[in-house]
Amino acid sequence: MVDRNLLDLVMLVEIALLVLAVGVFFAHGVWLFVTQKQFLRDLTAARDSLARLLTRGTINVEEINALRRAPRDAQVAAFLEASRNVTGMGKERLRFVAGEVSLLDRARKLCESRLWTRRLRGARVLARMDVADPIIEKLLMDPNPAVRAQAAEWAATHPAPSVIAIMLTMLADPATQARFAVQNSLLRMGSTVADPLASFLETHSGLPAESGLRVAESLAETRFLPAALRHSASEDVGVRSAAANLLGAIGGADAAARLVELLKDPDSIVRAAAAQGLGRMQHWPAAAQLAECLRDSTWRVRRDAGLALRAIGAPGALFLRRALKGNDPFAADMSQQVLDLPAAAAG
Amino acid sequence: MEDTLRLVTQMLVKGQLVVLLYFLGVNSWYLVLLVSSLLEMRRHMLLIADESRHLLLSSTLSPTISILAPAFNEETSIEASLRALLALQYPSLEVIVISDGSKDETVRVLVERFDLVPVKTIYEKRINTKPVRNLYRSATYPSLVVVDKENGGKADALNVGLSFARGELVCAMDADTLIEGDGLQRMVRPFLYATDVVATGGTIRVVNGSEVKFGRIVRTRVTTHVLAGIQVVEYLRAFLFGRLGWNRLGGNIIISGAFGLFRRESVLSAGGYLHDTVGEDMELVLRLKRLSYEQGSPGRIAFVPDPVAWTEVPESMKVLGRQRDRWHRGLADVLWRHRRMFLNPRYGVTGLFVFPYYVFVELLAPLIEAGGLLTLTLGLIFGMIDWRFAVLFCLTAYGLGTALTAFTLILEDISFHRYDTFRDRGLLFWWALMENLGYRQMTVYWRLRGLWKFLRGRKDWGVMERKGFQKPVSVAETN
Repeated sequence: MVDRNLLDLVMLVEIALLVLAVGVFFAHGVWLFVTQKQFLRDLTAARDSLARLLTRGTINVEEINALRRAPRDAQVAAFLEASRNVTGMGKERLRFVAGEVSLLDRARKLCESRLWTRRLRGARVLARMDVADPIIEKLLMDPNPAVRAQAAEWAATHPAPSVIAIMLTMLADPATQARFAVQNSLLRMGSTVADPLASFLETHSGLPAESGLRVAESLAETRFLPAALRHSASEDVGVRSAAANLLGAIGGADAAARLVELLKDPDSIVRAAAAQGLGRMQHWPAAAQLAECLRDSTWRVRRDAGLALRAIGAPGALFLRRALKGNDPFAADMSQQVLDLPAAAAG
Repeated sequence: MEDTLRLVTQMLVKGQLVVLLYFLGVNSWYLVLLVSSLLEMRRHMLLIADESRHLLLSSTLSPTISILAPAFNEETSIEASLRALLALQYPSLEVIVISDGSKDETVRVLVERFDLVPVKTIYEKRINTKPVRNLYRSATYPSLVVVDKENGGKADALNVGLSFARGELVCAMDADTLIEGDGLQRMVRPFLYATDVVATGGTIRVVNGSEVKFGRIVRTRVTTHVLAGIQVVEYLRAFLFGRLGWNRLGGNIIISGAFGLFRRESVLSAGGYLHDTVGEDMELVLRLKRLSYEQGSPGRIAFVPDPVAWTEVPESMKVLGRQRDRWHRGLADVLWRHRRMFLNPRYGVTGLFVFPYYVFVELLAPLIEAGGLLTLTLGLIFGMIDWRFAVLFCLTAYGLGTALTAFTLILEDISFHRYDTFRDRGLLFWWALMENLGYRQMTVYWRLRGLWKFLRGRKDWGVMERKGFQKPVSVAETN
């Protein structure tokens, strides 16, 4: 039978646990109720002060002092909110005010912390405020991938040669999170990155090259043509298909000629990418070769060849109609589907 | 006679002790999960604080997502649901609606409202499915595909959707699930952060009682309906400390069928969804996990604690009972199909840890709990069991559980606090207390019924009646 003391002990523990849970739950509710109201008041005041400081021609010391006095969380929230809506001179003014209220100094300090979570917070503030600071450049080589990714996000608006050089080496970052952020930022840097990226692609292969080719595809500059042609002969399927996509984005006679060759690639992913590329270029002289791909053994190649023919326009449509009456039922079916597609869905 | 009575008494007491120890063990494990989910939640909140998701939203590098929305007799709600899907904030999105042999005007409504035109029905058939009757593309929404097929059930509809999808990732959902505007951006995060992720699931919450407009939640409230209210607490507990806790321990094997994101190629390579099971979502995830061990392929299942989707839960005992019975049959079926993983070191953490957990804590729980309650009642009636023991049993079985549930509510409150009024907090706590007074015992009964039906080989879905988010509608689930 159960000992009375044991029962009392269990009951006591459970009652204590329940009371603790209820207490914390409701106390947290009360705390949230009070602090959120206060936070909203502080945030509104900080927003107003900041708006006045950003819109007026002169800097009002009283407003700066009011912002300085605002609680830190409201201060940070107001600055981060404002950072989304201002650019150019407005952003410069925002940075000046942030410097005056020591927000930037605090962020820099956080960037030097031993804890990655703090470094991340610091990097986020500096990135959102577009602050050019060597301290955040250093974070591009941080041991934590989340911090590296955040620093890479910052780099998008600071395309200095040294930053671009580090970013390009990060295309081989083992952490997907950081690699994705780097690709995205290089893309947002625009044509500034074209030359260094072209040189990078000339000398690299494998995963870094594949990541770089994807960025280059979005930039679609003719400077990438030699690299695209070189990588289109790579042994790696991923690199070859990325090169085919890039060739399609760049366009031109050389790119088209190579894409036509790639329609015979042993890998279906590359053949599909080549067909897509020719469609993207609307390269009508390749219509006959694309029509041949309507008989490819792989569904994806047939589909992309069909869509490419439709994108080419009249000559492509002619081949599609001819395939309808041909002796290959797969080509006929695909042609019919592509011809049926409404214009909006055929893009 | 006296000897027999003494023997029976001893057996009853020993049986009760075993049940008591079982509950103690289960609740202790829940405590471990709670701590694990607290740590995981803290890490997650630190990672997402002040992050700028719009950079991801505008990136052309983000993977394309194909949403697969099976629909069966949804003529009243399909337009609003689809408009909400097409308005989701994601840069590269394709929406595939699969009418699973709808007998009402679902397809006609879609054709009229979304400017659909029929196109030649050909597709890459990598999985065997029921025949596709018609295929439609929209003249105004380039990313919309509508497939009209013969009825074959949800799994079959999803398999057809997989064949038509062009996205690198596919999002499987129920047609009536409400997805948060930025839900996909949140769900795709693990895929961008790691290459070995094959599936992600997010927190599903209960929509009953909340205000919905144009397919979006505009005001979150806890319902005053007893059954739905208790399910709000149940869902919070299941997602916030169950799945989140397992996430840290690397043991997630469930992704809700209402909303999950998968790598399309992995699902196709695994053979798609199974038709002849009622637990097709769990079966697929467990199969992906199993194949990852057997073939060395990627197999990480990630859980995103952000509230990403909302679902309507049953408000009648009959429908709820059918749902729970089906869930338990599904669980039993899936565990039986993959029984070779049980305590098999070849399957790592999943085989040695997660699988036994699902067998002993999830599958057999109703059997043990029912046995415990029955013997306790008999023991008390016939004076074979001490009343103190009965109190201790209830405290261990139910009291500890309630305390843990209360801590889950704290977890929600310190992280997302979507229920932010005192009315809602009070109601949440009230439903947490009420759960043990009848509701839990009913679920034990329904789950036992499910187990029994599984043993008898039943595989039907039953009918799900829904009130609808804006006006009352009644629809049947794909069978």
